[in-house]
Amino acid sequence: MILHPGIVALLGSSAIVNMMMLYSAFAGLRIIRYWDSKSSSALQLSLERRTYLLSSILSFVLGVNLLGLFLFIYTADDLHTQFVGAMCATGTLNANPIGWWVLGMKLVLFLFSAVWIFLNYLDQRTEDVPFVKKRYALLLVMTPLFVTEALLQLRFFLGLRPNIITSCCGALFSENSGGIASSIAGAPVRPMEYLFFTVVFLYLIVALCFIVFQMDFLKYLLGGLALVFLPVSIASIISFISPYFYELPTHHCPFDLLQGLYGYVGYPLYISLLLGTLFGLFPSLSEFFKGRSELPLRRWQRLWTTAGGISVMVFTAISVYPMLFSSFVLEG
Amino acid sequence: MRRHLFILEFALSGLCRRRYKNLALLVAYSLLIFIISSILFLTHALKREAELLLQSSPEITVQRLMAGRHALVPVDWVDTIVSIPGVIDASPRYWGYYYDPFTGANFTVLGVRSSEFPLKGREDLDPEDCLIGSGVSETGLLRTGDSLVMVDPEGIARPFRVAGVFSTSSSILTNDLVVLKEETIKRFFQIPEGYAVDLVVRVANPSEIDTIAKKIKEKIPSSRPITRTEILRTYESLFDWRSGMVLSMFIGALLAFFIFAWDKATGLSAEERREIGVLKAIGWDSSDIMEMKFWEGLVLSSLAYLTGTITGFVHVFMLGAPLLESALKGWSVLFPSLKLRPVIEVYQLMVLLFLTVVPYMAATIAPSWKAAMTDPEEVIRS
Amino acid sequence: MAIVLEDVTKIYNPGQPNEVHAVKGVSLRIGKNEVVILKGPSGSGKTSLLSIIGCMSRPTSGRVLVNGRDVAKLPERFLTEIRRQRCGFIFQQFNLLRGITVKENIMLPLYPAGVSLGEIKRRTEEVMDLLQISHRANFRVEQLSGGEQQRVAIARALVNDPEIVLADEPTAHLDTHLSEEFLRMISEIKGAGKTVVIATHDPLVYESSLVDRVIHMRDGIILEEGQ
Repeated sequence: MILHPGIVALLGSSAIVNMMMLYSAFAGLRIIRYWDSKSSSALQLSLERRTYLLSSILSFVLGVNLLGLFLFIYTADDLHTQFVGAMCATGTLNANPIGWWVLGMKLVLFLFSAVWIFLNYLDQRTEDVPFVKKRYALLLVMTPLFVTEALLQLRFFLGLRPNIITSCCGALFSENSGGIASSIAGAPVRPMEYLFFTVVFLYLIVALCFIVFQMDFLKYLLGGLALVFLPVSIASIISFISPYFYELPTHHCPFDLLQGLYGYVGYPLYISLLLGTLFGLFPSLSEFFKGRSELPLRRWQRLWTTAGGISVMVFTAISVYPMLFSSFVLEG
Repeated sequence: MRRHLFILEFALSGLCRRRYKNLALLVAYSLLIFIISSILFLTHALKREAELLLQSSPEITVQRLMAGRHALVPVDWVDTIVSIPGVIDASPRYWGYYYDPFTGANFTVLGVRSSEFPLKGREDLDPEDCLIGSGVSETGLLRTGDSLVMVDPEGIARPFRVAGVFSTSSSILTNDLVVLKEETIKRFFQIPEGYAVDLVVRVANPSEIDTIAKKIKEKIPSSRPITRTEILRTYESLFDWRSGMVLSMFIGALLAFFIFAWDKATGLSAEERREIGVLKAIGWDSSDIMEMKFWEGLVLSSLAYLTGTITGFVHVFMLGAPLLESALKGWSVLFPSLKLRPVIEVYQLMVLLFLTVVPYMAATIAPSWKAAMTDPEEVIRS
Repeated sequence: MAIVLEDVTKIYNPGQPNEVHAVKGVSLRIGKNEVVILKGPSGSGKTSLLSIIGCMSRPTSGRVLVNGRDVAKLPERFLTEIRRQRCGFIFQQFNLLRGITVKENIMLPLYPAGVSLGEIKRRTEEVMDLLQISHRANFRVEQLSGGEQQRVAIARALVNDPEIVLADEPTAHLDTHLSEEFLRMISEIKGAGKTVVIATHDPLVYESSLVDRVIHMRDGIILEEGQ
């Protein structure tokens, strides 16, 4: 293992987050068992008060999660000099491929906590808190994922062996490792482009149809598309979007986009990607969890769909911009 | 949106009203951030320094291994190495460490040929002359024209006239350096004829460095070629490891602080409890109180963060990190007035945030919830 | 605003050795623009009842109808919202916040209400004018006399333009002159069309002519109701 300040920070924060999640799961279990919104018993009162603490904790967890996602990438990037052949964060993650799983888990957990906060927000707007039990059931699903992520992250860092000079010989004979990223990077460009633009097109059409016609099945379709949109976009960034920014056909790193050298373009890119995914999920999720509440869901769902559509358009605009305005051409 | 600003404003006024209670917390918090930011800044600056240093160093250094330890290199290896395609040049180097019994410091002694003589305005170094780094000059109180006395392996003290001192602006390497003429150093260390300490190899194309190193190893099995990036990697992991170690030593202090913060946040005064009760009675919700507490924590953290990083910056880059020197800088005792280039990256600031502010906020969640649950009825009853 | 209590009970620390039945099955109706007194010795349950009427705490059982809507089982945030919009409180010892100015004290109830700063200032100046304390606006509350503090407390209770004003032993620490002054202000509040509920055992208050109804409490039940 490498003892590095960034690693200490990540492991420390993940320990904190996990203790909080375990506590929340325990409290959530009590809420699922004993919650009765019609009762005014002391138990119900104490459970109700407990929900204030839990929503606070989950907001904290969400924030740490988002920052932790970037910190993880940054740390991988900072460590790359210690591995032979590593040019950026990708190299570090390849040095111990569990890293890719950690990154993926972090992304999934971010989406989960954002959805949870979203449901919490809706719930607090109603008098009979219709999703309370479903929400804490979701929390019970999330907790083991958090624990898994923490353990994977620990294994990732424990398994990193820097290629430093040892007492017997130089390290230059250690082999170069391939990895998951290289296979995506190697995927043919043209089909990937078609896939990406088809998904974006479908997303926008379905969103527009929903805003105009408001048919129920469209929200579920939109939710499904949002779930497809996220992985397809990430694969597209690796396959053909990032090389346009780097103006290098061989450079496929999805992380260098976050660096000042490329104008921090990665931030608006990834943030619009995440927002597009989340807003696309919200209409169907709110429908699924709504119960008998009297929320003005119709109006809100249209609003979220609009926000999702705008995010996807922003994402696409940023991605397409260098393709249109740079002299660099990527051959398929 | 507006209500959040109002609550923030009221949180600020609350902090000012209880300034003495919060001052102790702020001081401890800032001190902690100061220490950790100093560690992070110093490590990072040292890594950068090493990186810059190595940019001008040879692409490959060749050592010889004998019985698992490195030994003097036969100079005739040069011919073998030069014959490898892609190698521009290979040359022997003469250098060593010298422990100075008078000052208790370690010097790095380096031999130079007249062709690569480093002092401007002088053609050559006399056999009895030396050039010294600023660190050596300071520890031995030596100036140009004075004599540096070194004891050779036979116990005979040999004086060398100081012909010049390297300026302080140059990097780590020159600091503890004593430069002698090549023939002088061979004689002083009694290096046998036909041997050198190691060889440096210059390579035309950087992408061929690894291949050439491999070829050297194949041609001369007892050699140990070390590439520049390997040295860099070793330096970096060494610095990372050290700062990680020092950070781990501070984990106790960190924990103590967070317990202190937790305790402070839990121990509400009667006056504060009354205030929260009144606020709730006149129409503030528990979530508003929690928001107020959150703002309080955020404002305190931001203040401490700013104070801590600024003082940390001054400590490391303007004062030369006097408090951390021994822990982080050196395997060599001698590192006097090293001026570090001020470099800070967003990454350092983010790591700092995760090590201090994140746990602080975590430690205050439960207490602020407890405070927010104060029953407003209590107020009318008291 | 009409408030109806139906068979309301309040138990503190249920199931524990220190269990207290503060309110035992009280039914009560408070009409619009009434001045109602809850009278009784300390420990008679009048403060508990007052806090239930003021949507500050929920009853253990029973129904509380505010304008026909049962609020007894509402989640805390909704109860807070009703309290924020419809109720104003005057406490026994004024309970002003020390260290901040008169103006800020009066503004406090409006902070979480989501109104604009202009609106907050307008309303604050309005109530300060009404209670004649504008000249003290930027003084800190501990620099004021008892009478002025009382006015600030009333101003704070009125700033959100409540439909009902609740006061708990408001005259307990006042001399006769100030108590009469207080009653004068209550009559003004009544004149403005508001409902007033006062918990007290001060004869000066419950024998006053502006009182519409006196509810006599003892041991958590209503003994008698008088005009």
